[in-house]
Amino acid sequence: MKKSEKREANTSGHLPVAASWRRRTMLIFLYKFFWRAILGVVIGLRYLGVKKEQHDGPVIYIANHNSHLDAIAMMTVVPRHRLHLTHSVAAQDFFGNSFFRKWSMENLVNAVLISRKRGDQEVDPIEFLDGLLQAGRSLILFPEGTRGVPGSMGDFKRGVGHLASRHPGIPVIPIYLDGLYRNLPKGRAMIVPFGGNLIMGDPLVFSNEDLNEITARTQEAIEKMAQDLSDSNQI
Amino acid sequence: MNKLISAWGMNAEIQWVIFIIFCILVTSSIAWFILVRVKPSKLATELQVRTRSWWVMCACFIVTTLVHPVVTLLGLMYLSYALLREMYPLLNLDARERNVVLVCYAAVPIQYGLAYFGMKTLFLAFIPVFMFVFIPFMLVVRGETKGIVRSISLMPYSLIAWVYGMSHLALLFQLPELQGFTAGPQGLLLYLIFLVGMNDVLQFAWGKTLGKRPVLPTVSPNKTWEGLIGGVLSITLIAVAMRFLTPLNIWQAAITGFVTAVAGFMGDAIASGIKRDIGIKNSGHAIPGHGGYLDRLDGFSAAAAPFFHLIYLFCYH
Repeated sequence: MKKSEKREANTSGHLPVAASWRRRTMLIFLYKFFWRAILGVVIGLRYLGVKKEQHDGPVIYIANHNSHLDAIAMMTVVPRHRLHLTHSVAAQDFFGNSFFRKWSMENLVNAVLISRKRGDQEVDPIEFLDGLLQAGRSLILFPEGTRGVPGSMGDFKRGVGHLASRHPGIPVIPIYLDGLYRNLPKGRAMIVPFGGNLIMGDPLVFSNEDLNEITARTQEAIEKMAQDLSDSNQI
Repeated sequence: MNKLISAWGMNAEIQWVIFIIFCILVTSSIAWFILVRVKPSKLATELQVRTRSWWVMCACFIVTTLVHPVVTLLGLMYLSYALLREMYPLLNLDARERNVVLVCYAAVPIQYGLAYFGMKTLFLAFIPVFMFVFIPFMLVVRGETKGIVRSISLMPYSLIAWVYGMSHLALLFQLPELQGFTAGPQGLLLYLIFLVGMNDVLQFAWGKTLGKRPVLPTVSPNKTWEGLIGGVLSITLIAVAMRFLTPLNIWQAAITGFVTAVAGFMGDAIASGIKRDIGIKNSGHAIPGHGGYLDRLDGFSAAAAPFFHLIYLFCYH
């Protein structure tokens, strides 16, 4: 497993190399203790429906996206032994333009940066993410592609559809993030605690649906979770 | 075993109240367990979930009360903070009011710090006098006046409702020792927790069994006259029965129980009104079966200050 990962990494030249034990320990400390405590105790994020037993292997986590805290909150629900194998997918044009941002994204968030525009890179972003899944890595994707309007969800881009249709065995886990955008809105640097909810849905497994159908179903799943949450709290 | 208990600073009164709480929880757990088996219904399942949450809440309250006064203070402080944190997202504050929210959060440790150091006059004045000027000023300073009247009323009010009242419980630890009264501030705190908790439970129980006439039909249809009167009378009796935790005599205990129950009902009704205006049922998901912190502690924080002042009036004045 490890050997094949390394070989894969060397041939394409783009895959992040396997994490050292130091990095693994750091990621576990960072997400399973530090951020978990900050999110749980200070910010007051509630974890609903998070399963201890998750698919042991590559998984695609998808969520709605409104805040920089989103990727951090998603990392805290990834099983401990998969943490260093889980990459959030971030935008090259936003995070790649300063050294500090790029370094912290790649080292502290364990993210991979891709271009949002087609034809920018020599490797197609989808091919690149495809390679990561093949190498046994999990992905954290925000299919809206941008943080968008606070508190509302935009239409999903088709990247998830592409990836899930190429890898029929890999489960897609939908996560609905409610209220995190209040804690750290777009364009703000300071976190002000306002609470929020993280709801993990049942994994979606696709066999041979086409990519439009997959995209529609993933969006539906997250919209349904949002609807259920607000319905459950109606008078 | 006795040595261990005395090393923990647990006296006979506190052992008794823990025993009583334990018995109530065990009885209700068994009762709902049987009810779910014999006659399954949505209510039965909900009662089971709620009782499970009561177990956790009682454990947290008892442990934080008994470990050390500083732990109790930090626990109460966290509850105040959690209440504020749960209230603010409901108010639809704009981006610039975020910074003022930080000022409100900062008032929590200051208020509890004043309680810890026993600065009683400043403790009583800090929020209603100083913060009531400072927060509106901070709202004005940001230069946006649209909708400012709403924020000026809401944000200081949130401090009064969730911080000022609760912090009086931290002040219980500053009361001088009385001769012949051994339960101490821990006993008083458990007494109040017991009364307010039982108040919620009994008003619910009386309302469910006998309730017909709603007391506030437009605010909270589930609250009935039968539930209110039954709850207040039972709490008055329970307060008399449990007065071994306090330095009060029979009549003083009855008055304290009555006032606590009525104040708890008032806090509950105010929170219901706020939630109804916003259009939500529960303020959060922190406690399974109960909703958020705000749903559970609304009565508690409203009853805290009247309780403190009654104790002070009866025993220390």
